[in-house]
Amino acid sequence: MKLCTMYRVLIGLTCLVFLSAQSGIAKEAESIDELVAMFDESKCAQCHEQIYNEWQHSWHSKAIISSLGGMRNFIAVGVAKEWNAKLTKAEVLKCLDCHAPTVNYASEKLAVEIGEMIVTAFDKKGTPEGDKAKSELSRLSVGCLGCHNVKATSVARGLRGAPVAGAIYGPNGNDSDGHESIETVDLSRSVFCMQCHGVYKAPDGETIKCNTLSGSYQNTYMNLGGSETCQDCHMKKGHLFPGGHDLETVAEGLGFNVEITSYRHLPGKVYGVKDSTKWVPSVVINAFVENKTGHRIPDG
Amino acid sequence: MVLEVTAKDLTIKDPEKQEVFRSEKNWFEIGVDMDRDMRYGAWQIKETIDLTLPPKQTQKEDYLINFDTDTEKVEIEANLWYYLKGSKGDIIHSVKETISYETD
Repeated sequence: MKLCTMYRVLIGLTCLVFLSAQSGIAKEAESIDELVAMFDESKCAQCHEQIYNEWQHSWHSKAIISSLGGMRNFIAVGVAKEWNAKLTKAEVLKCLDCHAPTVNYASEKLAVEIGEMIVTAFDKKGTPEGDKAKSELSRLSVGCLGCHNVKATSVARGLRGAPVAGAIYGPNGNDSDGHESIETVDLSRSVFCMQCHGVYKAPDGETIKCNTLSGSYQNTYMNLGGSETCQDCHMKKGHLFPGGHDLETVAEGLGFNVEITSYRHLPGKVYGVKDSTKWVPSVVINAFVENKTGHRIPDG
Repeated sequence: MVLEVTAKDLTIKDPEKQEVFRSEKNWFEIGVDMDRDMRYGAWQIKETIDLTLPPKQTQKEDYLINFDTDTEKVEIEANLWYYLKGSKGDIIHSVKETISYETD
């Protein structure tokens, strides 16, 4: 009987460990310190210094603090006033599933605290309280593991399963002493970026339209035969991911041709000139503006 | 994104009065809620009215400008502005040309 119980316990524990590995969730973080430690990205810099430096200068690294106003309005106006609803992790994730994917591994309490910190950081900007909240929030972003683990299998979850805890997903799958590597083409596909750079559909069905890039990419660019991926253009400078903030990238995506033709209009044919018996100096300007990108302009 | 086209009559001495033509073509979108009221909040916007420049498309804008009969010299300028956020814009492309006219 004792042996039978021990077997049951052992089988139960094995199942728990297996399920835990399959879901990729080790535990839920109760503080930002814990959350940052769970997805310690400073380790990435030890071997991938150049990539890490590029990312540090990217907008992905500032994904929360660069969007405080919009997220504050969602929490303080949308959820609190318009919906008259309580702030929950599910509501917070309507912003942070994209702006800081690791928050998926925060406890309900911590996720709500992070949501409240967003409001504090914006409303009390310039005060010690507001600056402290912003400083804490700056530790959360679209970091290495946000893409290379948390979101890595999301676009083909049925096929790929949940992300394996601690593993790094990438296009080459090279083995490393620092981590398990899992080769996947998913991160090289446009649909991977489209998870967030498009209309966001929350699990409860709510649509959040921060931007609609994926709409014009899929329904116009691809429909017209376009075949380049988001990464083809926006990873030309590696993990810096230049886009609308980079004037060089903007200029590259827009063609501009102006033809200016001067002539003299027939006397007496233009109303309101000083002397109707004289030729009228005139010009015809034809301006051609070409969108050479894979999405509409402007878009965010 | 804005295409700004201006013409200055350089025959006029006062620089503040030289601009005799200005036109702006604006590419943008309007976000609307379920009642089709314009909105800014990402959670409020459920549809967009799309007045942007679609991918793989070239749009042509034509202008015919008649100056006064005593105009001898004009400066035509076409600027393509990109506004990332609010009113802070940058000129992405620019073309400027000076034209002289024979007077009778």
